[in-house]
This record gives sequence, C-alpha cells and structure tokens, in this order.
Amino acid sequence: MAELSSGGDGGKGGKKRAKKQSTRVDMTPLVDLAFLLLTFFVLTSTFSKPKVLRMIFPEKLKDPINQKAPEVKNGLTILLVENNRIFYYNGALDKTTVLLETDYTKDGIRKVLIERNAALIKQLFEYQKELEKIPTADTAGKNKVLAKVKEAQRKSTLNVIVKTDNKASYRNMIDMMDELLITQVAKYYPVDEGFMALEKTLVQSKIKS
Amino acid sequence: MPKVKMPRSTPSLDMTPMVDLAFLLVTFFMLTSSFRAPEPLLVDPPTSTTDVLIPKQVFLATIDEKGRVFIDITNNNVKIKVLKKLLKSRKLSAMSEEDFKKFAGVGSIGISVKELATFMEMESNERTAYSESAKGIPYDTAESKIGQCELFEWALETRLEAHNDYKEREEEAKLKNMEFDKSNYIQFAIKADGKAPYKVVQSIIAVFREAKVKNFQMITGLESSPIK
Repeated sequence: MAELSSGGDGGKGGKKRAKKQSTRVDMTPLVDLAFLLLTFFVLTSTFSKPKVLRMIFPEKLKDPINQKAPEVKNGLTILLVENNRIFYYNGALDKTTVLLETDYTKDGIRKVLIERNAALIKQLFEYQKELEKIPTADTAGKNKVLAKVKEAQRKSTLNVIVKTDNKASYRNMIDMMDELLITQVAKYYPVDEGFMALEKTLVQSKIKS
Repeated sequence: MPKVKMPRSTPSLDMTPMVDLAFLLVTFFMLTSSFRAPEPLLVDPPTSTTDVLIPKQVFLATIDEKGRVFIDITNNNVKIKVLKKLLKSRKLSAMSEEDFKKFAGVGSIGISVKELATFMEMESNERTAYSESAKGIPYDTAESKIGQCELFEWALETRLEAHNDYKEREEEAKLKNMEFDKSNYIQFAIKADGKAPYKVVQSIIAVFREAKVKNFQMITGLESSPIK
C-alpha cells in the first residue's frame, strides 16, 4: 500500500525525464502492526516472578499423641481460630493459663511480638547499622557481622509456637508467618498436629463469652 | 465572483518517531517477557512482605478454595519421567513419545492418571474446559490411604527424580567444566487461595510430609513492608 505515485505516462516521443517519485511510504499498517504486537506483549507478559514464604515442617511423628511434650522456656503460643481471631498465652499450658485475645492489625499481634522480641530486634538493629558502615568491598568484615547476626538469632530465647485451627483460613496462617518475619522472631514453629484438649476448651469458652 | 480556493494539502504527519518508539517497546516486551503458563485454576494467594524469589524449578501445587489440587513440574524432563513411573505403577499402558512431550507442555494438570490418555487426545481448548471442571489430583488423608493416593505418588516420585536430575546435571557440568548452580533444584511450592480453609491446605501439606518433603515455598502476593 505504499504511496508510490505512478508518475510518467509514457508519452509518445517526449523527452525521457527522470521520474519524480515520492519517497513517502504510508506507515499506517506498520504502526498498526507494531501497536498490535505491543498490546499483545503488554497483556501477556508477567513482570515479576512471584515471591515465596519459606516454611519448614518437621518430619511426621509416628505416634503424635504419645509423644512427650517438650519443655518450652519463654514460650509464646499463638492459636489462630475462626473469624480472624487470635488467642495467645505465655509459657507452658496448665490450669492457670489465661488466654489473651488479639487481632491481625499492626497494633495487635505485631505489638505483642515486638514487645516479646525487643531484645533481639534491638541487637539486630545495631548489627544492621554496623553493616551499613562497612564498605561494600569488605566481604570479610560483612561476613563477620552476619555471623554475629546468626549467633544472636541462635541464642534468642523466645520460642513462638503457631497452631492453626481447621476453621481458620489459609490467609490467617500466612499473615501470622509474615508477622513473625516482620518482627524478626528467630525461632518459630508452625504446629500442624492440632490443638491440645485444654487449649480447645479454653478457646471454646473464650469464643462463647 | 471568484471561487475561494481551499489550500489542498494532504493531512499526513510524520509517523517515524512514533513507529520508532512503538518498536522499541515491542522489542523490550518481547525480550523481557516470559509467558504466563496456562492456568486452569485461578487462585488469589494471600500477601506477605517477603522478598524471596520463587526457585527456578518447582513442583507447584495450586490449591483452590474447594480444595482441588492442580500440579505442575517446571522441569519437563522430570515431569515426563515421573508420569512414566506413575503409569507403570498403575499398570497403565505408556503413551506415545509425542503425547509425553505434549503432556510436558500443558501446564498444570488436575486429573487422575487414568484420565490422562484421553486428556492428551483432546484439542487444547477442549482440554482447558475439561481442566476447569476437573476434580483435581486425587488425595486422601486417611491413615491407611495417605501413602497410596495419587498426590502422594506424584510428590514422592518427583522428590526422587529431582534428586537424580540434580545429580545428572552436576555430572554434566563437571564433564564440561562448567559452573554448576547448586541452588537450582526442584523445590516444592504451594500456591493456595487465601480464602481456602486451613484444613484443606493442611491436608495437602500432610500428604507431602508423608512423602518426606519438608521444605515448602508458599507463594504469596506482594505487600509493602511496614517501616520500622
């Protein structure tokens, strides 16, 4: 569809003139095609690869009921239940345990976790500042600080146990894991074996009230 | 009265810069895009602030609200090998090499191994429709059946084949004196709908745990990190 003027009429006996042809090409179809392709690629392409939250579940226990419950020091047990509610209790579970309720907002469970994990957060913050001071080329110096970070995480005494009820949604569980990530809790354990009997009764009485 | 002559000019404008730009963008998108694999199951994963990228090779389990599971293995070689093993263990006749290749390219599947032969014979649009109404990979969390369900077998065989595949690539890299990417092995990723009850996700994780898979990559949407 190029706009090539047909030019000379081949007149009889006339002087042969160099044909003056326009060099303009109609680019409309080209542009049409280009934009068609552009639209296609814009719509079909995915830019960012999805992000993942890493989780490790322990190997399945052969006999989960008859296992002796490990003694947890400085523990915080979080129970995720229906209707986006969270209950938690400190320390070991016994008859005097009182369930506290919180929610998924930043003044809810995050505040609780920050309070409990304050020591580690402060320590990690210091190391972060140290890291920023070290020049990029100095990998040995950086590794030294990173080793310190690992050591601090290993020595952290706070143990957070997360139990998710069957009626809670998957979103609840991921949100909880994310909160633990945000508050830099070093040791947390998603427990898949369900609530203990006492936990169940405590939660039931809380829900009813 | 003399006629008023309108100046005749063609309303043409120079489109060259526009074309330049358009092609520049086309080239950019062509080079940067990776195509979205066809997904019969649309799920809306929950969001998180993590910045860990999805591993290069995954065994992807997509779980919807109702608990249907669709699986995909992003390594074609392993995907075909695993299917061959499953067909063998179920005493089903093997498909043609062509069909195996086609199977590697169909993306996520959510049907039982029995149905696969007929599934592969369908046209691609028929397949999509069939997938959408499919029941997902069968699984059962009952104590006696968990080790026999198809989802378990897929997970177990993939875990084993992934190891073989890793070793093969390592050997090959050694022979060719190339660098070997140690982090590039098949990992298990779960992409579940945020509204799905935890019970559903938990039972699928239980099946994977039975197959001795411990590390999970939970695929999440992006969320901006709160400033501390």
